[in-house]
Amino acid sequence: MGKAYRLLYDENACIGCQACSVACRVEHGVPEDFFRLQVRMELKGVFPRLGMSYERMACVMCEDAPCVSVCPTFASFQDKDGLVHIDERVCITCKYCILACPYHARFVNPLKNVVEKCDFCYESRVSKALLPVCVSICPTEALMFGDMNERDSLVYETSHKEALIFPKAHLKTKPKVAFLPKRKGMKS
Amino acid sequence: MFAQNRRDFLKIATATPFIPGSLGAMGELTLCCEDKSIRSMCEMCSSRCPMEARVVNGKVVALQGNAYDKAMGTSLCARGVAGISQLYDEQRLTQPLIRVGKRGENKWRVVSLEEALEYIATKLNHLKKTYGARSVIFSSKTGESYDMLRSFAYAFGSPNVFSHWSSCPIAIESAFEHTFGETMHRDFENANYILNFGHNLFEGLDIPLTKAMARFASNPSKKLIVFDPRFSLMASKANEWYPIKAGSDLAFVLALLHVWIRDGKYDKNFVQHYSVGFDKLEKALKESTPQWQERLTGIEASVVERIADEVYQAAPRCIIDWGHKATTSPAEYQRSRAILIANILMGNVEKRGGIYFPKSAKRINAISFDEMIPTLNEAYPRMFPNEERLDGAGQHGSYVFVPKEHGVLQAIPEAILSQKPYAIKGWFLTRHNPLITLAHPQKMKEAIQNLEFIVVNDIYLSDTAMMADVVLPEATYLERDEGIRDQSDKVPCYTMRNCVIPSLYGTKSALEILRSLAQKLGVDKNYKWDTMAKLRVHQAKGDDAFLEVLLRRGVATFGIPELFLRESKDVERFVEHYPKSKALLCKEGCFSHFFHTLQTPSGKVEIFCEMVEKIFEGYGLPCAVDMDVTQGYPYVLTSGKSAIHTNGHTHNIPYLHQLMSDNPIWMHPQTAKAHGLKMGDAFYVENGIAKEKATVFITEGIRPDTLFAYMGFGRDAPSLKRAHGKGLNPSKLLSLRSAPVCGSMITNVGVKITKV
Repeated sequence: MGKAYRLLYDENACIGCQACSVACRVEHGVPEDFFRLQVRMELKGVFPRLGMSYERMACVMCEDAPCVSVCPTFASFQDKDGLVHIDERVCITCKYCILACPYHARFVNPLKNVVEKCDFCYESRVSKALLPVCVSICPTEALMFGDMNERDSLVYETSHKEALIFPKAHLKTKPKVAFLPKRKGMKS
Repeated sequence: MFAQNRRDFLKIATATPFIPGSLGAMGELTLCCEDKSIRSMCEMCSSRCPMEARVVNGKVVALQGNAYDKAMGTSLCARGVAGISQLYDEQRLTQPLIRVGKRGENKWRVVSLEEALEYIATKLNHLKKTYGARSVIFSSKTGESYDMLRSFAYAFGSPNVFSHWSSCPIAIESAFEHTFGETMHRDFENANYILNFGHNLFEGLDIPLTKAMARFASNPSKKLIVFDPRFSLMASKANEWYPIKAGSDLAFVLALLHVWIRDGKYDKNFVQHYSVGFDKLEKALKESTPQWQERLTGIEASVVERIADEVYQAAPRCIIDWGHKATTSPAEYQRSRAILIANILMGNVEKRGGIYFPKSAKRINAISFDEMIPTLNEAYPRMFPNEERLDGAGQHGSYVFVPKEHGVLQAIPEAILSQKPYAIKGWFLTRHNPLITLAHPQKMKEAIQNLEFIVVNDIYLSDTAMMADVVLPEATYLERDEGIRDQSDKVPCYTMRNCVIPSLYGTKSALEILRSLAQKLGVDKNYKWDTMAKLRVHQAKGDDAFLEVLLRRGVATFGIPELFLRESKDVERFVEHYPKSKALLCKEGCFSHFFHTLQTPSGKVEIFCEMVEKIFEGYGLPCAVDMDVTQGYPYVLTSGKSAIHTNGHTHNIPYLHQLMSDNPIWMHPQTAKAHGLKMGDAFYVENGIAKEKATVFITEGIRPDTLFAYMGFGRDAPSLKRAHGKGLNPSKLLSLRSAPVCGSMITNVGVKITKV
């Protein structure tokens, strides 16, 4: 049986410290001023009735992935487990995928001149049974990663306990990344 | 001693193979494709988080938390992860420099380390001969380099050692000392209710504490109340946020105490048996009503009443959190004391979810009547020279209660300029950048122009290093071995910094530099070591099993169960493990004897501090004094930490500079409008001390009468090519005045705004 990977992001625990972003940069040599992963924070409301939203910005690994369907050279593809990858050897940097991605997760790596994005650290870590580096490094345990086919996994348990929010669910891209609903403070 | 032949073993044992399987089994292959993990301790800030480095073929490729410390797991913050970016930064100092131009002109001659050290030794000897050893100041951020520097300074003969304390945690440290006789810790993990007065653990990160606080804050059944003039990240995670007026925390806490005492809602048993001075407190707080505090804090009286009741209901699983360098006003000592007394009244001392004494090896050994946990030999002998300090710290005058090991940094400029009480001619700094982190750097710069000799040991050519005669390039924390540190918390714990890779440029650590200087000056007879390996063996009393754990794991704990002295279940379990400790049981089945033998003058918890009262009349009890931080100006400039940068240290590190390169000043839209400012506009922030140009960041997240700046920006040193000239250094607007009793720098300051 293939893996049904899921990554959960709990904005209640996230403090926007960017440890995940820097760890991602180190792990993948992401060039200066580009990001595979960032946490964006937004202040909402009027003093003194305020709230802050925290959001993980990175590839959400769509099951119905617009980036894959628009790619003319099949550089963007899905593996046996449904993870979306980029084959750098055949990417012609046409940028269709960048325009098609509703999550603004892709960019052109100027050093390599290929399109790049989060790959759940598949090559360097997940394929070796290690957690993605963002999950492993997070100081506040705001990220969970695992296989939904495993009934005793933290992601399975949490997914069945919480009312998950799938980013831009209305687009029906069926992401493998889901957010836990905000519990405290002003609703965003 | 077996140090000599053990040394080589120790070096090898530091590295443990990353790939499963033993090093031996992999044979030669391992040597040509080396992939190993080394556990050590981070130094990207002061939290000393245990970390692990992965080294592939001699290059550090990743840093993460050291999972041998359960409270860490593999977690590390952005700064910790960016340690690699610092290590391989081409703007680092790589060679010793001797000044050739005028002081501060940034003209240097590259020299060998040997030449630099010879030169320093000659100069220090000259100063000692001409003006006396006390004419040289020594300063460092606390940590191992500070321990060594203090030892070196005393051996040299100077009493003038300074840590960073007076510019950071000295108020709470003094309050601990006077109230409990030692530093207390907080059990956020098991608390149900926390009042937070600006202790911003989500930006001033300490992984184990931050993690515990994040678990607490994200748990819907727990309650977090945050008081901060600014909508901090902590505030964004709170159940309730009160934008309290800057500097007025004390008023709120006094009203809280008033309500609890008025209604008899406090732990009468604890107060009666284990503390002194409650009767005096009761009298002193008659006037500090919830109504009274309204005008000072801007918080309604009904809020005080409700919160007082809620905290009491949650007691003892509640914490009134102190923080350090939180919202400093001149009342910082009183504020810290009032907060500690609030905890005492809630009876949370040595209770789960409350506050506790760290359980060091010595303490646990004493309770168990056993020597089961190793204790350390002193590695840094310190005989305080029989000399008057330049600030009188710990000796006489206004700083008599400031520990003489830490001193008051703010007193330095005046002492240099006035030559009083005597001539000050030299300064040796390591891991210290006072021209960024200390109040009124303009005055400090003027003062140090009068010094004859300055040595700075640092990783970068910092603002302070620019002013030196000799700049020593320090090895980063990834390139050096250090000794063993006691990091005991709920259980006894030791950590050790292990060298991750050989020093890239052959640079040395502060410990090695000071050790060879001590030898050159002939003041090293009390050191029982001359290399890092011997230092460790000396500290560990030759216990090689203990050392091996620290070499392999970077952290050593001993399977001791957590022990809160007033939790009968904990005590029962402890007695089961260690039957001899039964002798100490009190009739409630706890270890309450401890509260009669504290290191305070009375041996008990001191609500009233007679010793302080005698010298500072009115300060023996918390009272409503010194809360004004406006000095008649319309706005208060506040400052604080971010999760991306550390004090005066990280702003030029590539990965961190990329994330945060500037510190535009937070301003409420109403205030910006009143001054005709739009987002990103330049403006002047001005008071009697300075007039500085800044840019504005307009946000709803701050009181209209308050401004906020992240600290550490506004670097003048051109060698910090990335950070140079970006942002405002808020220290430039601060006065060198210190808070009464504790000698703390005051970081909230009155300012006015003018358009450029």
